[in-house]
Amino acid sequence: MALIHAHRLCKTYPSGSTRVVALDDVSFDVEQGDFVVLAGRSGSGKTTLLNMLGALDRPDSGALRVAGMDLLSMGEAERASFRLWHIGFVFQAYNLIRVLTARENVAYVLQLQGKPSRQRLQTADAWLAEVGLEGMGDRRPDQMSGGQQQRVAVARALAMSPSLVLADEPTANLDTHTGGELIRLMRRINERNGTTFVIASHDPAVIDAARTLIVMRDGRIEQTACRD
Amino acid sequence: MLAWRNVCRYARRSLITISAVALGVISLIFLWGFNDGVHNTMMRNLQEVIVGSIQIHARGFFRKPALQETLEEVPFLLELLDRMHVHKVAPRLRAFALAAGRETSEGLVVLGIDPQRERRVTRLQEKLDRGRYLEQTDRASCILGQTTARNLGVDVGDEIVLLTEDRYHVLAAEKFRVVGIIASGEMGIDRGLAIIPLRFMQAWLDMGRQISGLVLQLPPERLEPVTAALRQRLDQRFEVLRWYDMYPMMKQWVELENGFYYIFLSIVLVIVAAGIANTVLMSMLDRIHEFGVMMALGCGRLRLAGMVVLESMLLGLAGMVAGCLAGLALVAWFGRHGIDLSAQMDTVSRFYVDPVVHTDIDTDHLLITLGAVLLAAVLAAIWPAVRVARLQPVEAMRHV
Repeated sequence: MALIHAHRLCKTYPSGSTRVVALDDVSFDVEQGDFVVLAGRSGSGKTTLLNMLGALDRPDSGALRVAGMDLLSMGEAERASFRLWHIGFVFQAYNLIRVLTARENVAYVLQLQGKPSRQRLQTADAWLAEVGLEGMGDRRPDQMSGGQQQRVAVARALAMSPSLVLADEPTANLDTHTGGELIRLMRRINERNGTTFVIASHDPAVIDAARTLIVMRDGRIEQTACRD
Repeated sequence: MLAWRNVCRYARRSLITISAVALGVISLIFLWGFNDGVHNTMMRNLQEVIVGSIQIHARGFFRKPALQETLEEVPFLLELLDRMHVHKVAPRLRAFALAAGRETSEGLVVLGIDPQRERRVTRLQEKLDRGRYLEQTDRASCILGQTTARNLGVDVGDEIVLLTEDRYHVLAAEKFRVVGIIASGEMGIDRGLAIIPLRFMQAWLDMGRQISGLVLQLPPERLEPVTAALRQRLDQRFEVLRWYDMYPMMKQWVELENGFYYIFLSIVLVIVAAGIANTVLMSMLDRIHEFGVMMALGCGRLRLAGMVVLESMLLGLAGMVAGCLAGLALVAWFGRHGIDLSAQMDTVSRFYVDPVVHTDIDTDHLLITLGAVLLAAVLAAIWPAVRVARLQPVEAMRHV
């Protein structure tokens, strides 16, 4: 069974007196362990689709199942719980909690999951080492470079063992070299751990790394390509 | 931890709020300390100067005092009190008399006391303005209040004549030498009171060993239990009255003043709550994006709202602890050194208030104040917490 099953998703937003179509009859499936890149220009609907996959937003119509769960029938509390246990997010602007250290940022989601303190910190240190930030756990976000912060964000997304990692323009704020390194890191984790990634990006380096490429335009899927 | 870090994130803003809360708590604790200091002194003075903590009489004596209404079974009562570990007990005999001095005459209450035992129960001797206190060997000696002495035109060493009736309603008159003048500042003592030796009074009025009542002195915490125990053990022939049963106005006055302080407390708490609410709301508005991220990570709305409330409580708690320590230190200092209000005390000295007020806060007033500050901190956070709980993660993350 597919990890993600999206069927005829539609979404419009009010914009002044008119409504803007963000998603128009979008259907696709994503298999467990896939590395999917949603490509397309700004305003093509990538972020809206990502938000729906992460139970942050609801479509106006259609059906959406992720990790075997019907996201549209869930209440707010269930959706929060679903995000906590199934979805890892990596954002364009890193979005680390400023007052927490790198280790505490990674451990935060584990704390939300109710993991004991010692286990949280051990897991956090292990994932920081995995993303190449060994020994930097005590640094605050403002003491780290953009690339380092984004690695912390990746570690945070992976620490809670999610079914799916969703990344929205993760390389947009990074230079080419750092962005490339980050994508290679994600791809390595995908291949080694079998974690499913869905990344919204128009960065050619990210698109090159995709196993499955979904190209969007004006809220519709224009093209789907599978590398393997 | 996260809540505390958030409080520290806006250190200057938090410090200002904490200082404001602390200042409010200091002022409340100090004012309670002053208020309680005055009240406790008033109540203690009333009990220690003349009234005692408890008086035991024959039933009905307090409302309609008569020489013939004497207390029965005194040895039994003394033994009972001894078993209850009540050792500060003094017998008294009371009558009404007409006093004739050098210039005029005046009606007054004659109080027969056992000088030695009375010293253990009241501090009448401390109120002596001139002359001396009664001694065990004294016979026809008396102490007068200064107003009565002035009205009668007598002073220490002079003689007065007391005219009354004895146990059998036979007129009795006796000449007494004034050995001391009391100036207590309390009208009820300074005017209309003559204190004479109990033994002499009993013999003079043919009372045998009879007395009108027993006066007990107790620490405040023993007042209610001892009263309850006495009322339970003594039958209908006796009346056991606490000081405020006999002088209810004092207690009502204290309660009325406390009521005013509660109003003041509420006003200060509204100001404290507004200060905290302002800080928490500003902090919340600054972090809407971060709240969106936390919701995206799976943090529930209730948890986020709880964190906002916790941050508010931490601000309140920090201010409360600082204010409490400083306030208690202030109360302790003025409790030891006192606040000299003698220039303003001409009138209030009648109400048993000492001219030097020693601050002293009651535990229940302290706990009520601290609890109310914490409650204000929680209430202050409700609106910001509700706003956080209503955030939509996607919209919140768009917020810059």
